[in-house]
Amino acid sequence: MASDSSPANIHDGPSSPEDDSMSSPIGNTFSSPGNPRRRTRRSTSSYATPPSRRSSRFATPEATPTPRANRRRRRSPDPISTPIAATPSSPEAPPSSEAGEFGNPDEAPPMFVWGTNISVQDVNAAILRFLRNFRGKGDASLEGKYMMAIHHVIEFEGESLEVDAHDVFDYDNDLYNKMVRYPLEVLAIFDIVLMDMVSRINPLFEKHIQARIFNLKTSTTMRNLNPSDIEKMVSLKGMIIRCSSIIPEIREAMFRCLVCGYFSEPIVVDRGRISEPTTCGKQECLAKNSMTLVHNRCRFADKQVVRLQETPDEIPDGGTPHTVSLLMHDKLVDAGKPGDRVEVTGIYRAMTVRIGSSQRTVKSLFKTYIDCLHLKKTDKSRMNPEDPMQVENGSSTNDEDVPNNYEDKVEQLKELSRQPDIYERLTKSLAPNIWELDDVKKGLLCQLFGGSALTLQSGASFRGDINILLVGDPGTSKSQLLTYIHKLSPRGIYTSGRGSSAVGLTAYVAKDPESGETVLESGALVLSDKGICCIDEFDKMSENARSMLHEVMEQQTVSIAKAGIIASLNARTSVLACANPSGSRYNPRLSVIDNIHLPPTLLSRFDLIYLILDKADEQTDRRLAKHIVGLHFEDPENSEQDVIDLPTLTAYVSYARKNIHPELSDEAAEELTRGYVEMRRRGNFPGSSKKVITATPRQIESLIRLSEALARIRFSELVEKRDVVEAFRLLEVAMQQSATDHATGTIDMDLITTGVSASERMRRESLVSLTRSIIMEKMQLGGPSIRPLELLEELKKQSSGAEYHLSDLRNALSTLASEGFVVVHGDSVKRV
Amino acid sequence: MVGREYDLVGNPLGAVRSTFEKAIEGQADPPLLIDGKDWGSTQLFRQFLIDQPSALSQIPILDRTSLPHLQPNTLVRYRGMIQDMLGNEFYVGVHKDAGGAWTTNKFTDVSHIPFGTLSENTRIWERRLLYCVPVPGQNIWAESYSESVASTRSNVTTLHGEKRPREDCADMDFQASDQDFQGSTSAKKMRENMHSPQLSRHEEYILEGSTPNSDMVPNFDIKSLSCLVKIYDTPESELKLNDVFEFVGILTFDPKLAAEDDTCDELCEDALVHLPPSKVPRLHCIVHRKLAIHDFLSASLTLEPKSSLVKGVRESLLGHLTSVLGNDDLAAQFMLLHLLSGVHTRVGLVAVGKLSLNLTCFSKETLTVFGNRIKVAIENLVPFTMCMPLTIDHLNSASLAPAKDYQTNRLVSGPLQLSDGTHLTVDETQLQTGTLNSVGVENLRLLKTLLESQKVDYDFKYYKMEMAADAQVLILSEGKSNILPADVALPFHPQSPGVSEYMDMEALKAWRCYLATFRSLQHSIDSDMQKIVEDDLVAARRSDRSLGSSDFSRLLTMARLVSMSFGETCLTIEHWQMVMELERLRRERSNQPK
Repeated sequence: MASDSSPANIHDGPSSPEDDSMSSPIGNTFSSPGNPRRRTRRSTSSYATPPSRRSSRFATPEATPTPRANRRRRRSPDPISTPIAATPSSPEAPPSSEAGEFGNPDEAPPMFVWGTNISVQDVNAAILRFLRNFRGKGDASLEGKYMMAIHHVIEFEGESLEVDAHDVFDYDNDLYNKMVRYPLEVLAIFDIVLMDMVSRINPLFEKHIQARIFNLKTSTTMRNLNPSDIEKMVSLKGMIIRCSSIIPEIREAMFRCLVCGYFSEPIVVDRGRISEPTTCGKQECLAKNSMTLVHNRCRFADKQVVRLQETPDEIPDGGTPHTVSLLMHDKLVDAGKPGDRVEVTGIYRAMTVRIGSSQRTVKSLFKTYIDCLHLKKTDKSRMNPEDPMQVENGSSTNDEDVPNNYEDKVEQLKELSRQPDIYERLTKSLAPNIWELDDVKKGLLCQLFGGSALTLQSGASFRGDINILLVGDPGTSKSQLLTYIHKLSPRGIYTSGRGSSAVGLTAYVAKDPESGETVLESGALVLSDKGICCIDEFDKMSENARSMLHEVMEQQTVSIAKAGIIASLNARTSVLACANPSGSRYNPRLSVIDNIHLPPTLLSRFDLIYLILDKADEQTDRRLAKHIVGLHFEDPENSEQDVIDLPTLTAYVSYARKNIHPELSDEAAEELTRGYVEMRRRGNFPGSSKKVITATPRQIESLIRLSEALARIRFSELVEKRDVVEAFRLLEVAMQQSATDHATGTIDMDLITTGVSASERMRRESLVSLTRSIIMEKMQLGGPSIRPLELLEELKKQSSGAEYHLSDLRNALSTLASEGFVVVHGDSVKRV
Repeated sequence: MVGREYDLVGNPLGAVRSTFEKAIEGQADPPLLIDGKDWGSTQLFRQFLIDQPSALSQIPILDRTSLPHLQPNTLVRYRGMIQDMLGNEFYVGVHKDAGGAWTTNKFTDVSHIPFGTLSENTRIWERRLLYCVPVPGQNIWAESYSESVASTRSNVTTLHGEKRPREDCADMDFQASDQDFQGSTSAKKMRENMHSPQLSRHEEYILEGSTPNSDMVPNFDIKSLSCLVKIYDTPESELKLNDVFEFVGILTFDPKLAAEDDTCDELCEDALVHLPPSKVPRLHCIVHRKLAIHDFLSASLTLEPKSSLVKGVRESLLGHLTSVLGNDDLAAQFMLLHLLSGVHTRVGLVAVGKLSLNLTCFSKETLTVFGNRIKVAIENLVPFTMCMPLTIDHLNSASLAPAKDYQTNRLVSGPLQLSDGTHLTVDETQLQTGTLNSVGVENLRLLKTLLESQKVDYDFKYYKMEMAADAQVLILSEGKSNILPADVALPFHPQSPGVSEYMDMEALKAWRCYLATFRSLQHSIDSDMQKIVEDDLVAARRSDRSLGSSDFSRLLTMARLVSMSFGETCLTIEHWQMVMELERLRRERSNQPK
């Protein structure tokens, strides 16, 4: 078809703007795709115009017929361009058929779209059939989908009828093809048919109804637009980068005679030009060159030029985005704002560029633009964490239909979710170049998916975000994990705790006076509402910033006091932090708290705390060495395994976060209770006064969140027992690493909540009582003071075996002092 | 094919037309050539360039100095970096003239078709528009070389004119809008600052930057001439942003077009409005060729890998670097590796092969002595170099990354828009304490990503686009730079101020050639060696637990570079031991108190 369609296109394309002046190159006639006065070459007869003039998109119904000469002029220089299949119609026939013509097309002799073998009548009938008879799938209603739509439009005095191109395709394949190939002609007929139908339903309905086609079967990319697309209907996606101001475009001009004050008939714009009457129309006056434009009696329409740019995902490597201009009219004006991602359906047009307005040579160039028929806003981005409603609120067009490929994608994701090993696969796909740490990755996965937030009617709310802390030796790829999650997560914020000022974007460059090292104190703890805030070097965070985090992690808000205004902002963010032990390496003898110097209050707010210890393991070292050698010297491709690629992973996560809201099943709830009781029970050692808390109510919340996240991973709306079991396992793994009391080897939540294990507490208590007895023994009331060192000596003598430090003793002494038993004054202890 | 009956250099369009006529001869009307495919004209030119070794040198180079002497519609060549892509342009490819004969408009700007005949007698074809600029940071020797080819190799007198004095360069700017500025020198300066920030910044650095002996002439002349290149029949993937190309094509310049008063409307390609043909010449490209660093050097020397010659050149270069660095032998070793480094593969987020160097322990004194000397030495060795003084003010005000200006629809270049292989020196010693605003933070982030993953985020306002880069970054700082984490940090310990030695041109040429040749050398490791390396790494880690993957990466990159510096394609045990020794010395020095 390309061979016989191209002449028509090319003829039509450049011809339309040829008479155009540079000052208004986008005159209505070129941009109104449905203006059949020029588009529909049904025959050489000028009489073919009357019906079409009524349907002109922008001209008023009472528009005067276009002078025949104009059209003639366009064609005359080109003898070859005479219609190939045109059959001259008899000059008398058409005028009479004003309204009825298209209702019964058989009466008129066949007319053809100029340069093609498309019969106007056939198309007309096909459109009519489509509008009358099309019914959606499973639509059992009496009237066709579009008949209802037309009624609807009439009722609401709308201006356009949205037509889904898929419907056209389903109903009449041939019509669809014609429409895409010859949109100008077919749409003109479409409008005529619509007009006709509307006037039959409601003869008093004055407005024009235009067909707005959308949802084409195929959409092109901006990059692939090429000369063969000119004058075709195209659909493409892009981002609006610029909107011009609204241009009032003259449609109908009114002139007044300066001599006699006679008002001319309204003169319709033709091809962007208004022919000013040279003489006064009044018979009595006939003054020459006396007509002047009366602005406030002219008719204007809105017009806007919008620039559309390729979306980042369509840009090939090493390229810059392409742009294309869009012409918007009437209702489409201001339908999109800069920054919006839209899908546009329109007609690709080209027009010549002329050198100077007077010269007759043209540059051999064309300006191209798209005459916009329909604009639909699409998702802002695929990782949009926001409520979908927010995006669609501003959109004037169909909210209910989702783009085609979106559904495909969702189907793909669902397919993926049905795989039995999806949990394992996702784990493997998460930071594939970091091996092992599988449990940590599973925890991170849960964090990515998140639990569901809950707000009770009482106003109390439970967060759904899972907070994770990674503690570990340097060089254990903690930071890499963080960067990876940051890349993957919606609204991920990555910041280093070192010198973060809590809120704001400014930063301070500080210089270490000793070494001359420069340190950047970035204030990057910006709100990452509904995202994941990744904080590296958490331990180095200032007290100030940490206190902010307290609030963020439990209340999910941030309060900012600035210039007398206290604002509380939402910060529904998950925190992923990593901290280095305060000594360069983790000391397994000390508790987590002692190792990282974090206040227990903050620590207890983390759902999962992982210790990533760099165990001196030759096996791991070797793997690391092998990996890096391979990275440097081998083909990196072969290391790729069966992993899900990053875009799919992101899409998977975002889809799950948006659409899956799992709830606890009864079975799961039962398991949760049972497991929790079991955990608590483990802390009670029969026959011992020692009470170890192995689980706290906070844990049960964490468990719920984790199980919900696990259900989400499977795209399941129901939390099942296995999710709970896995959640318990994850929690236990994390706690075993971080909350194990090294003195006894059991889990002790006190380690996290207070920083002191139960066994340590008991040891301290025994030390205090021992000291007390020694002091009772050795010192008199009001007697001479004694040095702590001497006491320590005595302690060591009395308690053979146990190791005591001076610091332990000092702690004990201060306890005794608070009891009023002794007075500690500098380096002397006195009994009182 | 077609004989040499055409004057391809003087009248290329004639050749284009006659080949077209030949091609459509005897074809039906309309001819089959309507799809815009080439009909053999490109082949003709390509053949011409291949057949005659001197052919290329017959074609005059288009630059600031030669532009006034060049005739429009002749064949010229232009070397530059693709700075921006302005999309596709539709034009009338062929049309039928009044006499009924088909003619082509390919490789021209204007068609003289009478008005109103744009019908099926015309065919629309498309071409791509590329906005090219001279490679940022190109050193004068690299530039003069490309000209010298023309003079040395050709026996045909080209249209080269005398070098014009520098003030001509002031109107290099293409922005017609600031016509008013013409005349005043300060305004010129301003405009230079605006439009070629990297150049002027470079100058500033030399002027203000602690260089007492500032008799040093800026190492490259500002004679940048940007050019709008129109590309035909080339797949999109072939030409990428920031690639350096040599374009051979037809220079068009139509006074009528130049005089044109573009009362352009909104639909017009607004980018072009800001590039009037009088300032930015149009080049209709017929043949293009991607340039490597090697193409900017004298081809007189070819270094075969493994030859003894290589070793000699290596030694002399190392000696040179040592003397430049005040007899700091270790620093010279690392500098050599640094100058040979370059990204060779990317795995995920990791760019393998880069080796950024951070020379620490610079004080005011050492900087005055060595700062400039290092800079000049590098400029003499590498064709493209850039310098960036890091100050709070600069960071807060400059826009380092290229950014899209939607008003003019152009990509506004930034100092970080660099062609692959550019050397970037960042002087952190000038950084004082102070507050960074959001621009400053963003700029630092950019530098950091450049260092860490050799990527630059281009600012497209509504989103950022990541562009892969390959820049060798050298950081001079007082203490170890925490802002810009380099792969190797080495305290700089100059022994003696050293004397600036006389630069032997021949040696210099050899060094340049050496660096250009071996940085792109293929390299491998055999399985035995791999085992040894792995064992050594494991052992190292056992003795020092703080070693991580980044340290391993650095060692392996160094191993590769050391090997390459000897012209070897395979890692040997000696070289590996050398790497371990270098690393040991470096650690020793780093742990030393000052």
